[in-house]
Amino acid sequence: MRRAIPWVYMALAYAFIFLPVVTLVLFSFQDGRLPVPPFNGPTLKWYADVLGDTRLMSALLNSLLVGAGSAALSCALGFLAAYGLARHVLPGTLFLRGLLIAPMTVSYLIIGLGLLIVFNNYGPGPSLWAAGVGHVVINLPLAFAIIYASMGAQQENAERAARDLGASEARVLALVTIPMLAPAILAAFFLCLTLSWDEFIIAFLMTRFDVTLPVEIWSLLRSGLSPRTNAIGSLVFLVSVALVIGLELFIFGRKRR
Amino acid sequence: MPKPETIRGWGFVAPALIWTLAFFVVPFGIMAAMSFATLDGRELVWGFSLENYTRLFGQSYLLRAIVVSLEITLTVTIVSIVLAYPLAWIIVYRVPARWQRLALLLAILPFWTSYVVRSYAWLLVLSREGVINQTLMGLGVISEPLTLASTRFATVTGFVHFFVMLLTLTIYANLVQLPANYRRAAVDLGASSWQAFRHVVLPLTMPGIATGAFLTFVLCIGDYITPQILGGNNELTGPQIIMVQLGRGANFPLAAAMSIVLMALVTLAYLAASRWLRLDRL
Amino acid sequence: MTYFAARRGLMSSFAILALPAAAMAAEDLNALVWCDHTDPALIEPFEQQHGIRVNLREYEGTATALALLEQSRPGDWDVLVIDAIDVPRAVGAGLMAELPAEDLATADFWPGVAMEDQTQVDGKTYAVTEKFGYNTISFNSDKVDAADMQDLATVWSDKYTDRIAVYDYYLPVMGLAAIANGVETANLSADDLPALKETLFTMKDNARSVGEVVASQTALATGEVDIVIGGGEWLTAVLAEEQPELTWTIPDQGAVRWAQSIGVLEASENKDLAVEFVKYITGPEGQARLATSSCYWGMPANQKAGEHLSDAQKKVLRWDDQPDYLKRAQLYPAPDADLDGQMQDVWLEMLQH
Repeated sequence: MRRAIPWVYMALAYAFIFLPVVTLVLFSFQDGRLPVPPFNGPTLKWYADVLGDTRLMSALLNSLLVGAGSAALSCALGFLAAYGLARHVLPGTLFLRGLLIAPMTVSYLIIGLGLLIVFNNYGPGPSLWAAGVGHVVINLPLAFAIIYASMGAQQENAERAARDLGASEARVLALVTIPMLAPAILAAFFLCLTLSWDEFIIAFLMTRFDVTLPVEIWSLLRSGLSPRTNAIGSLVFLVSVALVIGLELFIFGRKRR
Repeated sequence: MPKPETIRGWGFVAPALIWTLAFFVVPFGIMAAMSFATLDGRELVWGFSLENYTRLFGQSYLLRAIVVSLEITLTVTIVSIVLAYPLAWIIVYRVPARWQRLALLLAILPFWTSYVVRSYAWLLVLSREGVINQTLMGLGVISEPLTLASTRFATVTGFVHFFVMLLTLTIYANLVQLPANYRRAAVDLGASSWQAFRHVVLPLTMPGIATGAFLTFVLCIGDYITPQILGGNNELTGPQIIMVQLGRGANFPLAAAMSIVLMALVTLAYLAASRWLRLDRL
Repeated sequence: MTYFAARRGLMSSFAILALPAAAMAAEDLNALVWCDHTDPALIEPFEQQHGIRVNLREYEGTATALALLEQSRPGDWDVLVIDAIDVPRAVGAGLMAELPAEDLATADFWPGVAMEDQTQVDGKTYAVTEKFGYNTISFNSDKVDAADMQDLATVWSDKYTDRIAVYDYYLPVMGLAAIANGVETANLSADDLPALKETLFTMKDNARSVGEVVASQTALATGEVDIVIGGGEWLTAVLAEEQPELTWTIPDQGAVRWAQSIGVLEASENKDLAVEFVKYITGPEGQARLATSSCYWGMPANQKAGEHLSDAQKKVLRWDDQPDYLKRAQLYPAPDADLDGQMQDVWLEMLQH
C-alpha cells in the first residue's frame, strides 16, 4: 500500500500537468463555435482555417526569424564572452560575470519597458528588429551561463596542446574550442530559440506592424474564444515537441551512449 | 600598461558587455530616471519628483496591486516547490534508470505549449462550462458549477502548472547529481529515511530549490498574461497596472515607478536566496 | 578565420531579419486602428484595388494613441481610427489633417451620426464617423427577466449577484453609471466622480468579473454570467446565429452610444492615398464590410451600406430600431486630459475594490 503512494502521486501530477494540454488539443478538433464540452466530434476545419490565415502564417515566420537570429547572436556573443572570461585573466571577472547574468534577474516586462522608452525617444521606434534586440538581451545571459559552465579543464588542456604545437588563437578557437563545446552551444542555441519564439511581452511592446506569433495569438484571443486558437496553439505545441524530441534523440541522447 | 593578453581578453568580452550596457543597463537607468519624472497633461516633465512613488504607496488601489502581486508570487513559489519536490524525487529514486529521462521529459513537455495559449487552455479547463465542472457534474459530485475561473485560484493554478514543471527540472538536475550512497550511508549509520532526507538530501538540494524558486519569483511577479486571462480583473497585479498605464493613459512615469518597485521586490528575493543561488551554473 | 565566420553568420542572420521589412511595398499605408479594421475581408479589396499594402496596428486608449503619434516621425502614420468624441483632442494636438468635406458621403449618414460638433473644428472637417453602436445591457433572455433589464437600478442589483460581467472599458461603463445617476454624459465633471464611484462599487460587488471584449463575450456565451454591463450588438451579434437567446436592450434611462471615426494624419506623407482609404471605409461597400467585421459588429454610419447587407445581418444589427435608439442614447463622456486621468484612477480603484 505504502509502495503505491509514489506512483499515485506521480499519476496525479502528470494528470495536472497534461490537463490543459489535452483540453487544448482535444477541442482544436471541435465541430462548433465554442471550445468547451460537450465535444461535438472531430473536424479538421480549424486547422485548415489557421493554415490558410496569412497573418498567422507570416507571424509564425517572423517568430522563427527573430528566434533564430536572436538565438544565433546570443550564442555568438555569449560564447566570446565566456571564452574571454574563462581563458583570460581580467580584472573584476566576478563583477563582469554578474553584469552579464544580471538581465536574468529582471522581469521581461521591465526589460521591455526600458527598451520601449529608449527606442521611442531616442531610437528608430518599434519593429521586429527591436523585438530581436530585446530577445538578445534576455537570451544572452542564458547562452553565456550555459557555455561558460561547460568550459572545463579538459578543453583547456586540449587548447594548450594545440597552442604548444603552434596554432594561433583563432585556429585554436575554430578547431578545438568550438567543436569541443558544440553540444553546449547547440543546447544554448535551441533554448534561446524556444524562449524567443514563445516570448510575448517584449515582442508585444517592441513590434509595430509585423508581429511575432505570440502577439498575433494574443490579438486572436482578444477577438473571441474559438477553436481556432486551440488549433494554432496545438500546432505550435506539436512543432516544438517534435523539435525537443528530435534534439533529445540526436544531440543529447548521443553523448550518454 | 595592461598586458596584451588582458587586452585580448577584453576584446572577447566587449561585444557582450557593450550589448548588455547599451540595451539593458542604459534603458534601465533611463527608466529609473523616468520614474522620478511627472506628466503635465501628456507632456513629460523630467526632474526629481517622488510623486509617482507617493501615489504607489499612498493610493490604496495601487498599493493593493503590489500586495496582490507579492501574495500571488509567494503562494505560487511555495506551492510549486511543495508539489515539484516529490515529483522530482520519485523520478530520481523510484523510476527505473532507463525510464528516468523519459519520465522527466514527459513532466516538462507542456512547457512547450505557447505561453499565451497555456493560460487560455486553463480557462477552458476552469470555466463554468469547462472540463472540470462538466466532469464533476457528470459524475454527480456537484450539482451546481463551481466558480473557478476569474478568481485568484485560477491565476495561481495557471502559474503553478508552469512553475511545477520548471522546479521539477531544477530539483531533478540537483538530485541526480547526488551520489546515492550519501543517503544510504546516513541510513546505514542509523538515521531514519526522514532524518536522512531532512539532514542529508534536503540541504544538498537547496541550490536546485533556490534556483528554481528564484526563477519562479522573477517570472511570476513580472507576468502580465496569466492574471490578465485567468484573474477576471477581480484584482489587479503590478504588471497589469503597468500595462494599463501604458495602454490607456500613456503614463510612462507611473509605469516606470511600478517597475522599480517590482524590481526592488525581486532584489529582496535574490538576497533571501543568494546563499544557495547558482545562476551562472544553471 | 572564426572571427570572419562569426561575422558572416551575424550579418546573414541580420539579413534574414531584414527580409520582412524589405518585402514591404514601396507605397504602404500605415494605419493606427481598432481591431475591427484588421479583418482581411475589409482591407484586402482596398489593397488589391490600389496595389498597395495597408499596415495595421491596434491600440487601446486614446491617450496612448496620441502619445504614440506625438513621438513618431513624419511619414510613420497615415490614418487614425479614433473615438469620435476624442477628435477635438487629436485636432488640438495638431495631429489631424483637414479632409475634403465635399468628397465624403456624410449626406447619406444616419441623422445625428455625422457628429459635426466633434469631427469639425472651426468649420473644417478633420474626421468622419464610420461606425456606431451602443454600450448598454447584453443578457441571456433564457435566464434573466427581460423586464428587469429595462431599469439600470435592477440590472446591477443584488438580485443578479455573481451573474454579471462588466465590460472593462472605463468610458462607456462610467457613462452608463452616470446615466443611472441621472447625470448626462456630456456634463460629467470631477464633482460627479464620488457618486459615480459608489455606483461602480455596487456594480463590482455584484459582478463576477470585469473583462475585455472576448472575456465578457465568452462569459456570456458559456453561461459564466447572464448579464454584461456595457455590452451591446457588438458583443452579441457574432453569437446571434448559434445562441439567439443572447440579446441586448436599451434600458428606460437610456444608454451610451459609441461612435468611432476615421481621419488622415497631418504628418502623413501619403495623404491622397489616405483620403482614398477614408472614402473607401465610409463608402457603401466598405461600410457594409466594416459593420460585419470579424472582431465586432456595429452599425455603419452610412445608410447606403444597407444595400450590401443581407436582411438577416440587418436584423441582428436592429436596422429598423435605429431611429428610436439614436434618440434614447447619449454620447460617450468626453473628458479633458485631467478628468480622463481621474476617471481612469476611479476605474482602477473599482477593479481593486
